[in-house]
Amino acid sequence: MLGKLLKYELPAMGRKLLPLYVAWLAASILLGFGVRGFESESDLLPVLTILLYVAVTVAVFVMSIILIIQRYRTSMLGDEAYFNMVLPVSMNEHIANKGLSALIWMSISAVASFISIFLILLCSGALFDVLPDFLAGIREMIAELGPEWVLVIVEIFLLGILSSAKSILAIYAAITIGHQAKDHTTLASIGAYIGLSMAETAVGNILVQIGMIVNLGFDDFITYMMAHNFLSAQLIFLILFIVAAALVTAYFFICKYFMERKLNLN
Amino acid sequence: MARIDISELSKDFGNVRALDGVTLSLDKGRIVGLLGPNGSGKTTLIKILNGLLVPTSGSVEINGIAPGVETKKKVAYLPDRNALPAYMTSDQLVELYSDFFYDFDAAKADAMIDDLGINRSQTMQKMSKGTKEKLQLCLVMARQADVYLLDEPIGGVDPATRDYILRTIISNYNEDGIVIISTHLISDIESVLDNVVFLKEGRVVLEGPADDIREKEGKSIDELFREVFRC
Repeated sequence: MLGKLLKYELPAMGRKLLPLYVAWLAASILLGFGVRGFESESDLLPVLTILLYVAVTVAVFVMSIILIIQRYRTSMLGDEAYFNMVLPVSMNEHIANKGLSALIWMSISAVASFISIFLILLCSGALFDVLPDFLAGIREMIAELGPEWVLVIVEIFLLGILSSAKSILAIYAAITIGHQAKDHTTLASIGAYIGLSMAETAVGNILVQIGMIVNLGFDDFITYMMAHNFLSAQLIFLILFIVAAALVTAYFFICKYFMERKLNLN
Repeated sequence: MARIDISELSKDFGNVRALDGVTLSLDKGRIVGLLGPNGSGKTTLIKILNGLLVPTSGSVEINGIAPGVETKKKVAYLPDRNALPAYMTSDQLVELYSDFFYDFDAAKADAMIDDLGINRSQTMQKMSKGTKEKLQLCLVMARQADVYLLDEPIGGVDPATRDYILRTIISNYNEDGIVIISTHLISDIESVLDNVVFLKEGRVVLEGPADDIREKEGKSIDELFREVFRC
């Protein structure tokens, strides 16, 4: 049934996001050509294209987050829940459907951002100036990392997916907990999100204090890997992976518990 | 064989008791009117049967099973609001029902949609309130379910639409199933009811075959309702 749920959930998000992506890529092309205007000392048009690009980019990211929240609220706890929650589908599949859809659209956003940068560089005529430096940078990084660079890329990719899944499920868990409130469910959800974030930080701090480095971001992770031997870097990756997976599992089961045991559609 | 067993069912919302010790057993082949004024607990009971609310105490079983994935395969539910995605057309909704409900008869739904003259390319959000209600009912009644739970199916629609909805229910339900219709519009629906359940402030105050009650009380269900629930 998960496949059938995805069949409807992915287009439900796509119908709002796809037009924005098209606008984003169009704004990228305009910005690319607008940047050329600086060279011809025509100021207004380039500034306008920059403003347009920034506005559309912000709109894409804000809309993505709003949609992730809205889709969960509407179809799991709002009016559409009166249809969705009577489908012969397990709660595991319902939550997985929402999480996977959000993750897929976040991944598409990431791909679109790369395409956007490519289009800006291409249309501004800077692509062939930047490309050699970019490729040289990559070659340098591969040389630093050694032959294990493929493994490193895969690990970073997996950690990125897990971190995104964790962020999405944390939002879902906060919404589900907030919906237990009699009134002001939005405020309660924001409160729950702050509470969960604080709990997450507290657990992280405790782990750090007992000698485990869990708060490394990607930059720190790469720096650390470059500065230390490969095995210790792998150990850090393993710890990050376990912590992220544990948080994904915890948030998933918070959603499942409240949806199965405390659901009160009103 | 369709059967619903409700035992000592109570539901509290904070300090408000919406259902108070409801005990009922309903057998197959009956159209049951769940009757009571607004706030009497009708919708709460139907939501609990659908697993949309968790009871405070007591139990509910459909064919011997508590509400869950297995009962949802056998229960067709018409909520008291538009719950279908507003951006979908009737054709897309037929496909949606076909994908999730194995007892859904797409040809039957299509025939009903054509009878009503619903524009197949029009999205739900562009339909009138009455058309939305009729479309939702077509989809629900095109299932060969064991239990049909219809929450206020005739509320807020014109008399002609009410007639269509009642005809649709009578001519399409699975005769081995149970149909529960919740409403406070008794006179419109009385003629189709086999059994009635009166709910008042969350409690069952009267229950039984409609004919027996009419004979015993010497008045119609509608008259009795007005007497029991006089303000």
